[in-house]
Amino acid sequence: MSDIYRLILRTQLNRGRAAALLAIAAVGMLLAFAVRVTVSASDRPEAAYSLVDGFGLGLLVPTTALVFASTALGDPAEDRTLVYLWLRPIPRWQITVASLAASLSIAVPFAIVPTVIMALLADGGIDLVGASLGAAAAASLAYCSIFLGFGLVVRRALVWGLTYLLIWEGFVARSGTTATRLSVLGYARTLFADLAGQAPPTLASSTSVAIAAPFVIGAAAIALTTWLLCRIDVA
Amino acid sequence: MTDDAVIEVDEVSKFFGGIVALSEVSCTVGPGITALLGPNGAGKSTLLRIMCGLTPPSRGQVRILGRVPRRDLDVTRLIGLVPQQEALFDPLTALQFVELAGRLQKVDQPRPAAEAALHLVELDPGDGRPVRTYSKGMRQRVKVAQALVHSPQVVMLDEPLEGLDPRQRLRMIALFRRLADEGRTVLVSSHVLDEVEKLGSRVLVIAEGRLAATGDFHQIRELMDDRPHRLRLGADKPRALAAGLLDAAAVVGAWVQGPETVIVDTVDVAAFRHAVAGVARQRDVRLHEVVALDDDLDSVFRYLVGRR
Ligand SMILES: Nc1ncnc2c1ncn2[C@@H]1O[C@H](COP(=O)(O)OP(=O)(O)O)[C@@H](O)[C@H]1O
Ligand SMILES: [Mg+2]
Repeated sequence: MSDIYRLILRTQLNRGRAAALLAIAAVGMLLAFAVRVTVSASDRPEAAYSLVDGFGLGLLVPTTALVFASTALGDPAEDRTLVYLWLRPIPRWQITVASLAASLSIAVPFAIVPTVIMALLADGGIDLVGASLGAAAAASLAYCSIFLGFGLVVRRALVWGLTYLLIWEGFVARSGTTATRLSVLGYARTLFADLAGQAPPTLASSTSVAIAAPFVIGAAAIALTTWLLCRIDVA
Repeated sequence: MTDDAVIEVDEVSKFFGGIVALSEVSCTVGPGITALLGPNGAGKSTLLRIMCGLTPPSRGQVRILGRVPRRDLDVTRLIGLVPQQEALFDPLTALQFVELAGRLQKVDQPRPAAEAALHLVELDPGDGRPVRTYSKGMRQRVKVAQALVHSPQVVMLDEPLEGLDPRQRLRMIALFRRLADEGRTVLVSSHVLDEVEKLGSRVLVIAEGRLAATGDFHQIRELMDDRPHRLRLGADKPRALAAGLLDAAAVVGAWVQGPETVIVDTVDVAAFRHAVAGVARQRDVRLHEVVALDDDLDSVFRYLVGRR
């Protein structure tokens, strides 16, 4: 399994992708720094919270997951190298789990750490730093597991994934309707608010549900991706 | 089914939407080299993919040593596949690529096994360049090495001679022979008749998704040579020539097709060429060209399919 993990890590991470996501992360950190120097000390926790919530959880974490998780298995399927992993005596779930582990390993430096740094730079208090870590990690787990199978079966997954993120996660999920309960972001924001000691978003779930949700989503997505891998037509 | 059938294909059909890629193909393949011959689009790759379990048949069944691929993960231990596509894991070196294959195949000592496999295809295991920089021929050989690293009993190769220069082709064919001599089952697809001749082997001819003929190469060659051939003759008096040819040896049909053109169907080109000169002389016709119209492989395949 570690062989597949290393291979996926190596094939999915290229300069273009790394540069694009580091640029997004850099913008987030610049904004956080701007909060620190322009916002008064009394308003800073609130402003820092909004920035991490909107930019870190709302943009950086999901796009990082999309770019890397959807290509983890999507690239080999598209460029027809999947056969060199698939036609081996390896249980399919190991391919899924190794790919997820690789995607998460990339999410740490590209999304989770920058989100935490944003909280630090914006001077939002120690609770916000911990909350950023917890929420970014939970959201990364959920998003990565979803985009793994998504990339395997959807052609041009990046385009469709962005559409999904913008319309569903970015717009519908913030509407405070039942859709909030059907979005990763809804749970991540609830968890974030709880950990940061802020007022929960509208129609939030309980803390325990918000903690469990990413793991449930992750487990379900791993099962689904493994099922897809068993059924796929390998070129 | 014979006792030594390693690969059994039973009434296999494959549809891609409306496209019939394979239609009721049944055959068995035993140890030694077997060539899968057919023009582009005939269904060779599809058949090999089904044999490996990469895609399920729409109808029918395939067995490898009695096991059903795709249902039985252990089948992957028994087979080594050289896929048609060139793509490899680009950032890896040849040694890393083949060693990875060995590890995934649970080979005892993947590093030495990978080195040995690379030696078999005459690539340098010490080459530090990533395979991204490799030529088509080198990639082809890396693909063969990764298929042999676990010493599989069944080796399936999809157009493995593509992209190799003539010398490399001969070495590769020699390698296939050695594998066959070791008792392995080697199935090689090709759309080039001459290659198949050099493989000197049993042949499965596939065309338009159907198994068109099976046998050894010489039987197939004879079948091909026995078919009616169509020729175009250029002459100054086409009517007189056509009339005279209708009675000539080996001619099945002859008709005028233009001011200076006659089309002839014959069962024996050599005999016909011999006869036509006599007819022309006798009827005082000046013959200025004789062109075979269907000597390309495609028409050979079409004939074999139509015969069934
Ligand atoms: N994945 C696929 N989807 C749709 N059509 C396919 C697919 N794979 C093969 N075909 C079609 O099936 C036929 C046989 O293709 P293939 O097996 O690749 O032939 P060959 O390898 O002999 O050139 C062709 O008409 C091809 O277009
Ligand atoms: Mg092919």
